[in-house]
Order: sequence, then C-alpha cells, then structure tokens
Amino acid sequence: MFHALVSIKQVPDTTNIRIDPETNNLIRQGVPTILNPYDAHAVAAAVEWKRKLGGKVTIITMGPPAAVTSLRECIEMGADRAILISARQFAGADTWATSYVLSEVVKAVHEKDPIDLLFFGKQAIDGDTAQVGPGVAVRLDLPVVSYAVKIREVNLEERYVIIERKTESRNEVIKTSLPTALTCEKDIAEIPYASLPDLVYSLRYEPEVWNAESPITFDPALLGLKGSPTTVFKTGTPEKHIAGEVIKTEELGVDGAVKAALDKILGVEGMASILGVQK
Amino acid sequence: MDKNQKLEFDVIVVGAGLSGSAAAAIAARSGLKVAIVERGQNPGSKNYFGGALYTHSLLEIYPDLWDRKPPLERPVTETGFWFLSKDGLVKATVQGGKVNSNPIDAYVALRAKFDAWWAEQAQKEGAFIIPKTLVVDFIRENGKVVGVKTDRDQGDIYAPVVIITEGVNNLLTQKLGLAKHDIKGDSAALAVKQLISIPAATINARFGLTDNDHGLAMSVMGDVSMGLPGLGFIYTGVDCVSVGVGVTLEALREAGIKPYELLQRYMNHPMIAPLIAGGRLMEYGAHIIPEGGWKDMPQLYTDGVLVAGDAASMVNALHWEGTNMAIVAGKCAAETAIEAHQKKDFSAKSLSSYRTRLDKRFIMTDLHQYRNLSHFLKTHPDFMAIYPTFINDALGMFFTGFGKPKGQLYKDILRSLTDRRPLLKAVGDIVAFGRTIIGI
Repeated sequence: MFHALVSIKQVPDTTNIRIDPETNNLIRQGVPTILNPYDAHAVAAAVEWKRKLGGKVTIITMGPPAAVTSLRECIEMGADRAILISARQFAGADTWATSYVLSEVVKAVHEKDPIDLLFFGKQAIDGDTAQVGPGVAVRLDLPVVSYAVKIREVNLEERYVIIERKTESRNEVIKTSLPTALTCEKDIAEIPYASLPDLVYSLRYEPEVWNAESPITFDPALLGLKGSPTTVFKTGTPEKHIAGEVIKTEELGVDGAVKAALDKILGVEGMASILGVQK
Repeated sequence: MDKNQKLEFDVIVVGAGLSGSAAAAIAARSGLKVAIVERGQNPGSKNYFGGALYTHSLLEIYPDLWDRKPPLERPVTETGFWFLSKDGLVKATVQGGKVNSNPIDAYVALRAKFDAWWAEQAQKEGAFIIPKTLVVDFIRENGKVVGVKTDRDQGDIYAPVVIITEGVNNLLTQKLGLAKHDIKGDSAALAVKQLISIPAATINARFGLTDNDHGLAMSVMGDVSMGLPGLGFIYTGVDCVSVGVGVTLEALREAGIKPYELLQRYMNHPMIAPLIAGGRLMEYGAHIIPEGGWKDMPQLYTDGVLVAGDAASMVNALHWEGTNMAIVAGKCAAETAIEAHQKKDFSAKSLSSYRTRLDKRFIMTDLHQYRNLSHFLKTHPDFMAIYPTFINDALGMFFTGFGKPKGQLYKDILRSLTDRRPLLKAVGDIVAFGRTIIGI
C-alpha cells in the first residue's frame, strides 16, 4: 500500500495583498487566506498516485486553527487524513524551526504508518523561501528532488521512484530510492474537481489536532520565535538575472564547444592567472 | 460518514445571497435539515450591489441582530436625490427627523463581507453550506421536483422542497418554465460601480457628516447617464465611498456607450470629482439589476419549488429596494416550506400559501403599484435628462436674479423649461409620472 504525506501551508492570497505605504508592511487584515497553490498541486499529485496504486494520503500543516479550511480542501481533493499542528509555542517560527517541527511529525506518522513519498509545494507564495521542504528532508536524511514536474513511476516492490525535475535549461530525470521527499511545481498534477460526496465529506471533516505536548513532544528550545535564528535585515527586489550564453555541442561538436568555452573564459582579463594556465 | 449515502435534506436553497441565507436560517431554526448550494468560493464572493441594506428586514430574520455584530458600514443618516446639470448640482436631501429613527432605517454595507457573515448566521441556525457547486438542473419524480442536480460527479441532492434564490440570471427559474423568457435588455439595468478608499475623516469633511456613525445614501439624476434612462448613486462606507451608475442594457446597446465610459464620465463630473479626489480604487464591479418588477415576475411556485429575490424580479427600481424584498420573501418562502413539511404536502397547491404571505407584505403591493414604471421610462426616455437639469437652471436663476424684474425672472425660468419641452408635454410628463407611481 502506497502512503504519501503532503505538508501544506495556508497563506494569504497574495493577489489581494497591499502594502501599507507608510510602514512598508504587508496589510494582511481582511486578506483572504488560501491553500498555497503549489501545495494544492502537490496534494493533487499524491492523490493521483494513491488512486493508481491504492493506499492513502496524509496531510499535515503547522498553523493557526483557521488552517482547518485548507486541510478540508485537501480532504476534498481526496486526501484521507489531515493533521493540524497548532499551539502558541509554534508561533513565529522561521523555516528552520518549522522544518524541525514538521520533521518530528513526519517521523511520528512514519513510525506507525511508513511513508513512501513526502510531498511539498516548491515554495509558499507568502515567504517564497523554498526552504522548508528541503529542510525537512535533510533532517530526516531523505533524498530530496526539488522543482518536480512529473512523477514518471513509483515502484513499491523495488522501492524506487522516477521523477522529472525542472532546471533552468532543461528537465532532469532522477531515479531515487523510497522514501523520497519532493517539492512540486504546478505541472506535477491538475487540481481535480471533487465529486459532490467528496466535497460534502470534506466540509464535515474534523482534522486531528496535535499540539506542543501531545501526541508527541518537542524540544521547547527549538520551537517558535525562540527556535528561529533568522533575522530579516532588509527586503527588496533581487537584481535581474542575466541569462548565460549557451554553447551547443550539436553545432560545434564536444571539442569545439569546449574550446569555444575556454576561449571565452580566457578572454576575460586576469582569468588565465586565476586558472593557472597560459593563454 | 458514508460517502455513498444518498444526500438528502428537508429543504435545498439555491444560492447564498441575502434571500437564500435568510430562507435557510428560518427553515433551519424550525428544525428542518437545510442545505444551501452556492456556486461561489464562499458565500458573498459572487454577490454585488450599490450600497445599503434595510434594517427592518435584517431584524425580521434576527431580532437579536445587534448582539450578533453584523459587519455593516455607516448608518444612513442623510438620504435623498441629487440633481445634476452639466456643471451644477441641486440637492433634495433629508436628515434628522424620521431619518434619525431608532433603529436607523438603512445601513451601508459591502456585500462580500456582509453576505459571508449573513450565511454564517444561517450556518449557526443549522443550515449546511455547500460552496463551489453549481446547480444545473432538477431531479424530477412524476413531474414533481424532488431535488437538484449539480455540476459535480454524483452531484444529486434530494429534498421535497427547493427554494430558488439564484439571483437575477434566473436560468433555473427559466428551466422550470416559471419565467417565460430570459432577462430582457429593456427591463434589466447594468450597474457599474467603483469602491474608492478614502480616510474616514476626509469622508466626514467632504460629505458634511458629523462622525463615522453618520452616513449618506444618494440617488443621483440628470447629467449622470448621458441622457439615457438611468440613475447614479453614492454611498459612504466607513473609509470608502461607492460611486456607481446604472442604465438599462437596451439603452446602452442602442447608444453604443460602454458602461465604464459612463461611470468614468460621472466620476469626472465637476460636482462629483472633488468628493472622491485622491481616493484609491479598491474594487471595480458590475451587476445586472432586474428592473422589470411586477411585469417580469415569474410564477413564484410550482410542485416542490419556491422562487424569491432577484430571481423573482423582486426589485423596486424607484426606491432602490430589492435587498429587503429578497430577505422578507426568503423568510416567506421558508415559512411556506415549514408549513408544507407539517402538512407533508409539497404540491403547488400547498405551496401557494407563499403567494398569500407575499401579498400580505409590502412586496406584492409595492411591485404592483409600480408595475408601469419600466414602461414609463421606456416611453419617456429623456425624463431623467430634462427635469434634473431644468431644476438646476430654475433654482439657479431664482437665486441669482439680482437686479432683474421678478416678472422677467419667472418668464426666463418658464422659457428654460419650454426650451427643453413644450409646456403641455411637460405637464403630460408630470401627470404620467404621477400616475405611474400612484399605480393607476
């Protein structure tokens, strides 16, 4: 039986967000919250593979009680179990403290009900850090495939998965062992339009609530604001990334391409001495 | 819960608007199992109007309204008509006196916020809200409606009585043959509006309001609709102002004017622009208003079905009433459904007491009295253009006739009328208008 766990986040709908012109802070008051769009696609992918292989999908989220509505949305899509991790002690967590809590929860779920795939959205649209998914994977010592766009195969007998991931220039195809963590692009799966019984079931669904003491305990020093080493000094728009030049082996052959690349590099002032070669 | 169980309720309400959530609340309060099926992401997300809700109708559903802390904006403490000429304004407004009643007659509201809360109150009474789901058809047994079909897989929901509060675009009411035709261009107005954010103190200063507990609701006539039969409006929220204009679809089509041009022109009017200057656009929206009234009313019930609100053309175009009718009619529909459950009879005959309930209220009498209004405006298309500008001229001359013999002044005033409209025709207009609103 296939068991997927998806970690999701409820976020403010940034399409509706405004900036306070005086304080430069986000005005979150009155802004509707939504299930992070990348997470929604991750849930859709998990459910799709559950339906192919048979099994179940568990959803976890750390957030305020209001995040129940996002969990219900996952149940509507076809997830089977949802856990809300919610307590005052967790508040103010950065990606470091968040990944600690989530990894402990994943561990606890995994002990009773082994997980094959651990899904995340590629990033949350409010913070855009893309750090929590890989952070949890590293804490659990799992392989992580980021920016996944397609799951080609999940083989439960031979314990491997084949995933396509997006890079700047092309897609990579990665085969790795189960369990594996992945962070998903929207291409990973289409959001399904739930059947009416699934929708009605989700509207009445009450998720399990885990707090800081029960059913598992955490190291209090690593929680919330206290456990968060991040300090934001300044925010701004990053400089525009200039695309690199692509030298194609199809046109110049491998040797030709390497030579062209070397010529370019050595043409840069002082580069020859850095590399320790003669022009 | 077993997902394969047949979805069954005592009452299905189609649409979580003012009427639907009112009906659901009353039915659920009596112990019936009620489902509201709403196509929007949340109740309120598809709902729109100009500006104000009537307190009497809200209290009728929730006598403890104020304890529930409704998300209303300002009470309407000044209301009336503004008559615009090209560059002038005559105000006929009322404040204090009857307008300063307890409770205040009307409150400005924002529907996205209010309707979400309104539906939540119905939920507290026990109604079950099914959002993001569109009702596309009915389930019929022996020719009687026994439920609805939705656009979702396995989407059937059963109930012996369905209350349709689907709004102005009443496709389901048409599907049942209760409405004989689609909405018509000459009796449906398209209203466009902007919600503009302005600090509360600035609103108070510009509109002459004492504080945030004073607000203004105005119908604006004359040079708002480019000579087309239509009305403008202005409502003050706590820190926002709604400015909009509505004109019949047919008139817009014939004149080839785009609704946003109309609105932009109105907002640039020299008497209006300073009121909203420096504001930030928060929301831009449009909605159809069914202004056909009595003559466009569908059959209001059939076997297993009741219709209320905009879907039933319950709008009084002259008094801007619609929300109050929707709410009270929703209540009447719910009471009828409750009675039908007691009698265990959901036939058209049994549900006909809905009509009796509506007849006893202002809804049917008002709509009947104004039954010719839409015809009057069609046959007097320039009524709304001529007289508001004439009033500006007349009063302007009356108060600036310095040094001119008064006999000449009155002649000038009369000429400014007859230049626009021959005297006999003007008298005819006034008589016809009078007959229209008296309803003879």
